Amino acid sequence: MFRFVTSPPFDGQRGQRSASSKQPGDVRTADLELAARCRAGDAGAFEELYRQHARRLFSLVVRMIGSVDDAEDLLQEVFLQAHRKLSGFRGDSALGTWLYRLTMNHCLDHLRGRQARMNRATESLDEEGADEPIAPAAAVPAQVSRLDLERAIKMLPDGARAAFLLHDVEGFEHREIAQILGISEGTSKSQVHKARMKLRAILSR
Amino acid sequence: MNCQLYDDLLDDYVDGVRAADYGNDARMAAFERHLAQCAQCQAVVADLTSIRIVASTLDRQIPPPRLWAKIASSLDERQRQPWWQRQLGGALSPWVAGAVAASIALLLVAGLWQQWKQPAPEPQQDISALSSEPAAVPAEQHYEQAIAGLQQLADAHNAALDPATRAVLTQNLAVIDRAINESREALVQEPASTLAQESLLDALETKVALLQDTVALASDTGAVADEPADAARELNQ
Repeated sequence: MFRFVTSPPFDGQRGQRSASSKQPGDVRTADLELAARCRAGDAGAFEELYRQHARRLFSLVVRMIGSVDDAEDLLQEVFLQAHRKLSGFRGDSALGTWLYRLTMNHCLDHLRGRQARMNRATESLDEEGADEPIAPAAAVPAQVSRLDLERAIKMLPDGARAAFLLHDVEGFEHREIAQILGISEGTSKSQVHKARMKLRAILSR
Repeated sequence: MNCQLYDDLLDDYVDGVRAADYGNDARMAAFERHLAQCAQCQAVVADLTSIRIVASTLDRQIPPPRLWAKIASSLDERQRQPWWQRQLGGALSPWVAGAVAASIALLLVAGLWQQWKQPAPEPQQDISALSSEPAAVPAEQHYEQAIAGLQQLADAHNAALDPATRAVLTQNLAVIDRAINESREALVQEPASTLAQESLLDALETKVALLQDTVALASDTGAVADEPADAARELNQ
């Protein structure tokens, strides 16, 4: 019924993936077992899934859409959809990556809707597009404050923000980001580059 | 200085990629030589590295405890819905959802009928097609056992359901039974047909799901103890 695959796992902690004591097969098997328990109606299993992933996903959603209240509603929708869709989880990716994909789809749909309502131009994630010229910047202050960086992240275009948050904040590799956002690895790299250069320009003002 | 030549390597360098780690990759080695002499690129690398380091230390926000309570409550509510409403996302009224479910079942049967009416496919170089033995359907027995147990429970507690629901369920069961019978007939004629095997298993799985929901519905009316639903879950495991 389940296909076991051997691609590297996601174990949930940024910067600690390689330091995890769990082996890839262990993580993937644990994911499949947890998903199977959820499907079988085990009341505690879905709560376990929530406890494992909600904190990381909540932080990501808040940074993506910029509102704690909206993030709460959106994450609720994500987990309800995850519950419905667990029957389709076959372990092709780690459960964490699968949840990140659902979450980012929700975030980007939310942002696209908001943008449409505000009649602003939308940006396609897979569109390489010409970057806006970035003015030569003065040096970024030696000590970048976290608060300044949080503010600057809010000013990034949606696609660049998504890739930057996944890569530099959450610690995913471009290969994983490509899976999560449904884009190519090259696009992921160029979006992270675009985000970093824009942040540099913003922080050096 | 030809800084633009190395734009695509800047981020790799910031992420810790070095030529020495990749068999002295020629382009990265060239960039490293360029970097040693270019103050402008050194400044960019320093800034991007600083941004990357601070980004990796940003605080995590904790979701409020009420979030899980809201999710759990929504899940409970969903579990109390009839199966067709759950499948359709609870967006439709029970009557409309029931009609849609029945229509889907009819479409399934119509689709099967059309497929059987089509001429037989060209022989394939497939080992199963070359075999004279009828193809085995190993899951069929499992489904049959589950159906027998669930049918017993459903028959015992059917009276707890309101007449309209009972009528829709009976109608849907009849449609699924027809699909099962027709799949079996197709398998008799073409024992190696993967399509017929899959159709049979799909129809059996649909019947298990419908019977489970029948038992759960009867349990939800309060006229029946939790035992049938528990038994149904066990049968499905």
